[in-house]
Amino acid sequence: MNLPSQIIQYAISGITAGSIYGVIGICWSVVYLMTSVLNFTTGEFVMLGGMLTWGLHAAGLGLLPSSVIAVAATILISAVMERTTIRSVRYPSARTYMMLTIALGAVIKGSVLLKFGSETRKIDPIFGADVLHIYGATITPQVICVVGLLAIVTIGLSWFLNYTLFGKALRASAFNSTGARLVGIDVSRFRLFCFGLAGGLGAVTGIVTAPITFTGYEIGLLTGLKGLVVAIVGNWTIPGTVGAALALGLLEGFGAGFISPGLKDVFALGIMIIVLIVGTYRLPLWRRHA
Amino acid sequence: MKGRIFPAIIVLAVFLLPIIVPSPYVISVMCFIAIYGSLALGKAVLMENSGIFSVAHPAWFGIGAYVTAIATIKGVPPTLSIGLAALSVAFLAYIIGAPLLRLKEYYLANATFCLLIIVEIVIGNMGSLTGGHEGLMGIPSLKVGSVKLEGDRDFYFLSWGLCIGSLWFFHNLMRMRAGRALRTFMYSEAASKSMGINIPQYKLRIFVITSVMASLTGSILAFWLHFIQPAMFGIPLMIELITMVIVGGGEILYGPILGAFVIMWLREVIQAYLGKVLPVMTAEVDAVFFGIIVILTLIFMPGGLAGWTEQLAHAGRRVRGRFAR
Repeated sequence: MNLPSQIIQYAISGITAGSIYGVIGICWSVVYLMTSVLNFTTGEFVMLGGMLTWGLHAAGLGLLPSSVIAVAATILISAVMERTTIRSVRYPSARTYMMLTIALGAVIKGSVLLKFGSETRKIDPIFGADVLHIYGATITPQVICVVGLLAIVTIGLSWFLNYTLFGKALRASAFNSTGARLVGIDVSRFRLFCFGLAGGLGAVTGIVTAPITFTGYEIGLLTGLKGLVVAIVGNWTIPGTVGAALALGLLEGFGAGFISPGLKDVFALGIMIIVLIVGTYRLPLWRRHA
Repeated sequence: MKGRIFPAIIVLAVFLLPIIVPSPYVISVMCFIAIYGSLALGKAVLMENSGIFSVAHPAWFGIGAYVTAIATIKGVPPTLSIGLAALSVAFLAYIIGAPLLRLKEYYLANATFCLLIIVEIVIGNMGSLTGGHEGLMGIPSLKVGSVKLEGDRDFYFLSWGLCIGSLWFFHNLMRMRAGRALRTFMYSEAASKSMGINIPQYKLRIFVITSVMASLTGSILAFWLHFIQPAMFGIPLMIELITMVIVGGGEILYGPILGAFVIMWLREVIQAYLGKVLPVMTAEVDAVFFGIIVILTLIFMPGGLAGWTEQLAHAGRRVRGRFAR
């Protein structure tokens, strides 16, 4: 492969990875903005979507029914989690929520390990495995599907939040929950909805990416953490998150291609630390967060 | 003297245990309790007593263990290599901590989470020096002068010595000016600032001190097991430490050690009774049980076991006071 096609190949893999991080980042920010809970189970939902689909498919169901059931199950798990554990904490604080969700993530991960084993699993691509060639670089339909998912989620969520009554009420209660309660919005229902939405989006991401990156019980943590990276760098807004996600994906793609594949996660996480620290200084065009 | 009788009895019991119960199994589990207990203690001092939400403790533990192991294998005397590890961890904690501790709450937790994963990946990828993911074997024994420390019983006294020593150290530190400053900072940043407390300096100091403690524990672990592996210093250990702090109760300093005691014995029970039933038995499977325990503790007993015993002791004092009249 010559250099230009190599660059295109790395860019494609970078954009794919970036789209995955983007959707996961949106999952984080949906929950965080609404409930100010950093939901460390987000990555586990991604894993759960992929692994449940694989499990149901292996049990004999078709690919489409098993994915639908997997998404529904993940939404249900997420909602039950919110109702039973997160709502029932007696002294809620950022620390308590964080430890609670880390513990919940460990429970989900270990249960999946017990049920489905520790092997890496693969789901068959939904749109076949024909390969397209662009200037010597290869592209699979699944990649287009991942990028499409990001586009649909971004546009759909922006429309939903800005142009529907339900979405406007959601934004209002995220902005000021006491005020929202005063005008008669049922804030508690929106919290539940946000957790369900994050669970469903995460599961869909897991199903769509499983044919490319494979799935296994341990993928949740790093994928989820990178989603958090882009959500924080993107300052919890949808356009910011998508931009940060694509930048991170491209950086990782070129880093893995030209420097070292083993250390690409180190880049991503190192950048996160640096961005966080830089964010504490007063800079033009940058809102301070800590 | 009155308040010191009970702690003295506990310390005496801990040091008499290997003589009363000479079972090697009990002694080795108690060694792990001491090691994880002192780690959890450092974490609790940061998290619950100074308001620094750092989860990078296993990383300092791991770096300490690796530096000690590599230096000893290269021929540095063991005691010197422990010092070398402590110094390098102190240096790293200082230069990383100075910018990192500008962050607060969630953001600090995330940054240290990333730091933990970075350290694990880097250690795993430096194959020629650290043995990669398979781990580093053949670490020589700990020799102090001409005395060779070997076996579970020697390390029992060493690790419990460190554990009780650091408990005593932090207990005193938290009652000193520095400890009071940190506690004030945790409850109200504005109040401590207005009293002229140099918050960043105190935070950085306590961060470095707890990191060095973790590094010392790591050195002991490396010499005891003669084998270390990056997976021993990863996320499962972090979850385990969180479990110990939560279950034991972090605001009272003996809580984390109590938590370590309960959790480690619980793990032995789980391994003994469920090992046959469940298909796989790894740290991740233990994490399921620990996770459930953390969730239940956070919901039903936010003060942890130590908070509960304190309440009990308080009730006992009230009853005694009524009869004394």
